[in-house]
Amino acid sequence: MGADLPRFWLAVRCAWMAVILLIFCERAIAGQSSSARSAVPAGRELTDEVGRRVQVPREAGRVVSLAPNLTEIVFALGNENHLAGDTDYCDYPAEAAQKPHVGGTVNPNLEEIVSLKPDLVLATKSINRRETVDALDHIGLPVFVTDPHSIEGMIASVEHIGAAMGVEKSAAALAEDLRGRLAGLDRRLAGDAQRRVLFVVWTDPLISVGRTSFIADAVRRAGGRSVVETKTEWPHVSMEEMVRLQPEFLIFASAHAGNTQHDIDELRTRPGWKNLAAMQHGKIVILSDAINRPAPRMVDAIEQLARALHPEAFALRTTPSEFGGAGFSLWGLAPARTKTHRLKPAPPLVAPNTSIEEACLCNR
Amino acid sequence: MQPLTLRRLLWTCGGLSALLLACVVLALKLGAVPISVTDLILDLGRIAIGRANELPTEYRLIVFDLRLPRILLGIMVGAALSVSGASFQALLRNPLADPYVLGVSSGAALGSILALIIAPGFALITPLGAFIGAIATIAGVYFLGRREGQLDSTTLLLGGIICASFFSAIIMFLMTTLTGRDLRGMVFWLMGDLSTPVSAGMQWIFTVGLIAGIGAIYSTSADLNLLLTGEREATHLGVDVTRVKLVVYVSASLLTALAVSASGAIGYVGLLIPHAVRLIFGSDYRLLIPASALCGAIAIVLADTLARTIVPPTELPVGAMTAMAGAPVFIYLLRRGLR
Amino acid sequence: MSTHETFLQAAAGREERPSRDQAVRLNVEQASYAYQVTAQAVPTFTLGATSFQAREREIVAILGPNASGKSTLLRLITGTIAPLSGRVELDGQETSRLDLRTRAQLIAVVHQESPVVYPSLAGDFVLQGRFPYGRALRFANRQDIEIARNALAQVGGEHLAKRNIGELSGGEKQRVILARALAQQPRLILLDEPTLHLDIGAQVELLERLRQLAQEARYTVVVVTHELGLAAEFADQVVLLQHGRCLRVGTPAVVYQKELLEQVFDAPLDVEIGPAGRPRVNLRARRGEDIT
Repeated sequence: MGADLPRFWLAVRCAWMAVILLIFCERAIAGQSSSARSAVPAGRELTDEVGRRVQVPREAGRVVSLAPNLTEIVFALGNENHLAGDTDYCDYPAEAAQKPHVGGTVNPNLEEIVSLKPDLVLATKSINRRETVDALDHIGLPVFVTDPHSIEGMIASVEHIGAAMGVEKSAAALAEDLRGRLAGLDRRLAGDAQRRVLFVVWTDPLISVGRTSFIADAVRRAGGRSVVETKTEWPHVSMEEMVRLQPEFLIFASAHAGNTQHDIDELRTRPGWKNLAAMQHGKIVILSDAINRPAPRMVDAIEQLARALHPEAFALRTTPSEFGGAGFSLWGLAPARTKTHRLKPAPPLVAPNTSIEEACLCNR
Repeated sequence: MQPLTLRRLLWTCGGLSALLLACVVLALKLGAVPISVTDLILDLGRIAIGRANELPTEYRLIVFDLRLPRILLGIMVGAALSVSGASFQALLRNPLADPYVLGVSSGAALGSILALIIAPGFALITPLGAFIGAIATIAGVYFLGRREGQLDSTTLLLGGIICASFFSAIIMFLMTTLTGRDLRGMVFWLMGDLSTPVSAGMQWIFTVGLIAGIGAIYSTSADLNLLLTGEREATHLGVDVTRVKLVVYVSASLLTALAVSASGAIGYVGLLIPHAVRLIFGSDYRLLIPASALCGAIAIVLADTLARTIVPPTELPVGAMTAMAGAPVFIYLLRRGLR
Repeated sequence: MSTHETFLQAAAGREERPSRDQAVRLNVEQASYAYQVTAQAVPTFTLGATSFQAREREIVAILGPNASGKSTLLRLITGTIAPLSGRVELDGQETSRLDLRTRAQLIAVVHQESPVVYPSLAGDFVLQGRFPYGRALRFANRQDIEIARNALAQVGGEHLAKRNIGELSGGEKQRVILARALAQQPRLILLDEPTLHLDIGAQVELLERLRQLAQEARYTVVVVTHELGLAAEFADQVVLLQHGRCLRVGTPAVVYQKELLEQVFDAPLDVEIGPAGRPRVNLRARRGEDIT
């Protein structure tokens, strides 16, 4: 039986701790040597849209995209053969869903990303977490982060991504095309008064877009003006305020074929909503959900919105343009996939009607 | 059961350490990218003798740059939370106490949100802000929890709950001003998440803090056994109750602060692991402290491995895993009689 | 006669009187104390100057109704508080000046039953009494285990060693707590209202055991109680307190005066002297009538 042996036991514990420390040191050393891996062949140094310096190869052989809009841009640039992987939520175009997946946008699996051996990883500030970017940086993978806040910003992102991937020519061509269409739209709408609109991101609670978001910019380009003027990106607005302001149009965005009309009919009976003139007169626009993603398809959506807001400017055309994946949404009732498409502007990761308090306090 | 002897203590710790090592090897093996065990052991050997460069790069990146640091962080966090939980259960003489009962995690969350708002450009702001917030909470609750110059369990508990509620209210308010991305990141972190890499400086602070904290608490473990029978009784047996309570309070809070800064608030571990260890090994704190540390490490490593592999390639936050596994275990223990 | 009386009479037959020439162990000399919220405030409670002496092998009862200052006196004796005036000495040393460890080796305190939060075996519980003799992380050695076993035997509880404390009856738990006190190998044993949760049989058993221990192992025992009958039967000395004042100190026969007791306990009482010279107290339900 042991007696007074505190020192002996202390020594044992120190030994145990020392082992842990040793492992740490080894890992630190291993970490040093693996960072040297980031000597990418014949690289250039670029500055991404959040000001980070990134070493990219001359031509990106393998690219991983961490956000659906970035995947769309890669496809739009015609560079999909070099797309080595994307996220679970990248669903446009259809081929994007066939690419190897690395997980979600908020929590992509770092091991999967590494195992795809990318030369370049694309991320965007509004969707991906800084921690993910830092982690990839830490192991020496070049990450190019975009941060568009306007339509022009989105087009600039297209050019930057093109430059990072080494396909400047396609990027320039695409950018010119998009700018051209927008200029054409501006001309067509010149002289028409801006329509006052409310862009509804979510109904319970009522969330709209702030004036610094790219959706607000899209609305502006389409000849509308959001009645919500605040700087907060996704402001919660009060129903009474909307009844007081009485926007001329209500805009919803949706992804799936479904029962949007049924949903809106249901909304029509609710207090507050039924007091909106736009609801009563049926001045409701259902856009394709491309409006939520800063990608080239957004311009399609802008055109669609412009047609709805200013039909007289387009009087010569009678056929509606492609909806491109538009449909009807089920507010929060759609399966996870759909909900996530709306995830960018919509409340994240917490079900609607969960209070933030529950999210905070539910540590157990 | 015989009275605790040194031999029994060493055997138990040795056995649990071996189990921990096995779990670590298992965790290194499993993941989105499969690794074989024999290769792993050979590679560990190669690294140990310094021939790290012979390994294929991606493989080394995955195992040693991504998995191993995460596993080590998990070990530290598990040990810190379990020891902290066991200590608070003794300090407050309450079997429902856990590392967060005195408001440390709310303070840390508030600290990290404030840091995000004030200095969003700075890379490592979240853990630093969390740590500062936690320390401030520890000091605040200490002053709230004093009565007649020494820490009183009930007052301490009340002070902690008040602080936690107050900070949560402020957090709710502030979260409306955060942008969507930061909000998502914050919610992730609040659930408990091991995927954020910890900077080298923070690792050292964590290691030193862990050793110091567990060591300090362990030095009072015999006193804690007596303290559990009552403060008056312990005083009359020669325990310096004021000093012991202060040491345990500061050390346990420090351990919680470190764990929460690195990984957010992982729940259930600090509450349940000490009870599970008590069921198996008895309530003697001289064994409970090290056994809880080791079992907590094992639990977190296993939970994190499960979180990484259950829905590939998505990674769940480890806090979600501990909650899902923890709730049924909690119910079982309750029915058995939380002792 | 009531059951109570039967028991007491039976116990009386076995008593012994301590001799007067044994060493004084506990010396309380004009010790007083006052509880004050702040140094300038009016004291909320005061214990007036109290004096008594306790020798080896003596049982001293500190007697009084609630809020009479018994707990304060107890804390003065254990050295938890220092007297405002006067002295409290154990074998010549001031108890309040002793360090915690030494104090624990000299004085053992048995408190009222406190709820046990976590289960432990009775044997481990008794072993805790050896804490004052070891270093910080000490594990029990053979000697400690021997002493603990003896302590349990002394209280007649060897069979309880492997049982869980939470499952014991009140009397058994009290025995285990006493065993822990004995394991401290103290010179002075203090008991604070030990009979509160016990039935009459267990009460008598406890006090008998205390008397036996005091005789055999030369302990000094101080019992704080408000049980008149038990104090009369078992104490060698009684210290009578009321409202923080020490009214009388002496043998039970001296202290148990009818008018004094009636005034202190505010109840109609009769006092008789029993065959062994010990007073017996009877309660009168109405004036002039006996209920026995």
